[in-house]
Amino acid sequence: MSRADAAADAAISFEAVSKWFRRKDRLVHALSRVSLDVRQSEFVSLIGPSGCGKSTMLRLAGGLLEPDRGSVVVNNQSPAEARRQKRYGFVPQHPALLPWRTVRRNVSLLSDVNRQQENPGMSTDDQLAMLDDIGLTPFLDSLPRELSGGLQQRVSIARAFALGAPVLLMDEPFSALDEITRADMRYLLLHLWGKIGSTVLFVTHSIPEAVVLSDRVAVLGSRPGRITQVIDVSLPRPRHAGVEDSDDYHRVLGEVRAALRQGWSS
Amino acid sequence: MVELTGWTASPVPGPPDPEGGTDPGLDPEFGVEEPPEAPRRPIRRAALLVAPFAGLAAFFVGWEIYVLVRNLRPLTLPLPSDVIIHVVENPGFYSRNGLVTIQEAFWGFWIAFFAALFVATWMAHSQFVERATMPVIVLMQSTPVAVLVPIFLLWFGFSPWPKILTAMLFAWVPFVANALIGLRSIDSETHELLRSVNASRWEIYWRLRIPHSLPYLFAAGRICVGLALVGAVVGEFFNSREGLGNAARVAQSRLLVDQLWGSVFVLAFIGVAFVLLLIAVERRVLRWHSSQDSDHRGL
Ligand SMILES: Nc1ncnc2c1ncn2[C@@H]1O[C@H](COP(=O)(O)OP(=O)(O)O)[C@@H](O)[C@H]1O
Ligand SMILES: [Mg+2]
Repeated sequence: MSRADAAADAAISFEAVSKWFRRKDRLVHALSRVSLDVRQSEFVSLIGPSGCGKSTMLRLAGGLLEPDRGSVVVNNQSPAEARRQKRYGFVPQHPALLPWRTVRRNVSLLSDVNRQQENPGMSTDDQLAMLDDIGLTPFLDSLPRELSGGLQQRVSIARAFALGAPVLLMDEPFSALDEITRADMRYLLLHLWGKIGSTVLFVTHSIPEAVVLSDRVAVLGSRPGRITQVIDVSLPRPRHAGVEDSDDYHRVLGEVRAALRQGWSS
Repeated sequence: MVELTGWTASPVPGPPDPEGGTDPGLDPEFGVEEPPEAPRRPIRRAALLVAPFAGLAAFFVGWEIYVLVRNLRPLTLPLPSDVIIHVVENPGFYSRNGLVTIQEAFWGFWIAFFAALFVATWMAHSQFVERATMPVIVLMQSTPVAVLVPIFLLWFGFSPWPKILTAMLFAWVPFVANALIGLRSIDSETHELLRSVNASRWEIYWRLRIPHSLPYLFAAGRICVGLALVGAVVGEFFNSREGLGNAARVAQSRLLVDQLWGSVFVLAFIGVAFVLLLIAVERRVLRWHSSQDSDHRGL
């Protein structure tokens, strides 16, 4: 398949994207000639040291930033257009729940906003079923401050899925959680994604997280930010916690670690 | 588009409960454990409810005793009981004048509130406007507003407007400052989240900025109730034939000690009553906010 075909097929396509930030009188080269095609319903993780431009890539994909060079295409649309049509489910690093809304109403927030844009969203029944599925039913009418951090982040993820968007963008959603909760959240996310099958671009700096979740892991190097390697994770799906005991898992883990080290030294 | 059906149909493998400890009663090895008796401290709770009244009573009793012991003349310091009796015996006079002052303060308060919200909204959306407006606000803040009252008199004569305007000027600076902080206090991730579904500025304003600024506005409101009353009274000092400020001024010139202190007491009562009303509203509206946790909730 030619490069052009792949791009036309892709859910998210970065084509030689460069991005600079101006800070005071200094130019920060955040991304340099990044190319990456994320296929439909693929789960791709971006991993790399902090400051290497992972969040910037996510914002470019989401149409929250414009590239300085190159182009980003999302399902044959510009990211700005896709954003106008509410094609993104965004999961930020912190749950970012509205403290005055109950769990139920936080989950429907993204559908409530910008209503004039026709949006399929999930029906209320489907939302409730999903919330029940991930154990949030007892908390439907709770306020965010009554929930633990792990539960809040679950609500945040449910909120992204509830929009029914074809593309999910997640920026280190689990990094503020404790290690135990965090390990469980991986499988919860996989469980939800397994049912909905949207395309996911997932930022992390946890190697196990990237390997357990992804179809492919894009390893980024810094200064300037660029993709140094893309690693296939050919572990069978659906994946459960047992996958972390398999030899294949450890082999891929090692590959990603090596790629990160290489990016670091080069 | 993404397939959205099948939620109810599929069996639920269900992730392990990451909260672990939320359901401690179900461990088969130990059986269901009884929770400990909730500690009951009725005395402590009652004491907390009574405390404000006890404080007030102590204040007035102390005052009363002090006057009696030192045998002070009423002109120096009256007995608080005399003042209260005087007020109770003249309900018409104080309610009539009190209502006038309340109305002036009320309109001053709300005009200040909406003017401040309008200006702060503008400032929050444009750095240029903020920079241009700041010096004017500082100027207004550092000018003793009271000296403007004679000017308002020239403009409006014997109408309620000089008093409303004074009340408004007293109250508006805390409102602007707090509204601006509140409107700006939104968290950048939530902002980005709303932008990711292309929320308009207007929606971000109503759904995010306004609710976020409510705690700040309520905090300002508590201060501004008092300030608006002060403003109204100061306005009445300069020109008025009615209102508690006028009652106090007349009393002072004619050495009517009871009426002078009566006006002060009624004003204080009005201030407290409105602050308490505001707090009651705040508790309902800001149920979601951490300031409403009973552990660290003062008045
Ligand atoms: N809005 C911005 N203004 C200035 N510099 C920025 C901005 N956003 C990101 N940067 C810089 O660009 C680089 C990449 O940032 P980011 O994408 O947030 O990295 P990561 O998410 O991988 O930690 C960093 O050096 C960061 O300081
Ligand atoms: Mg980041």
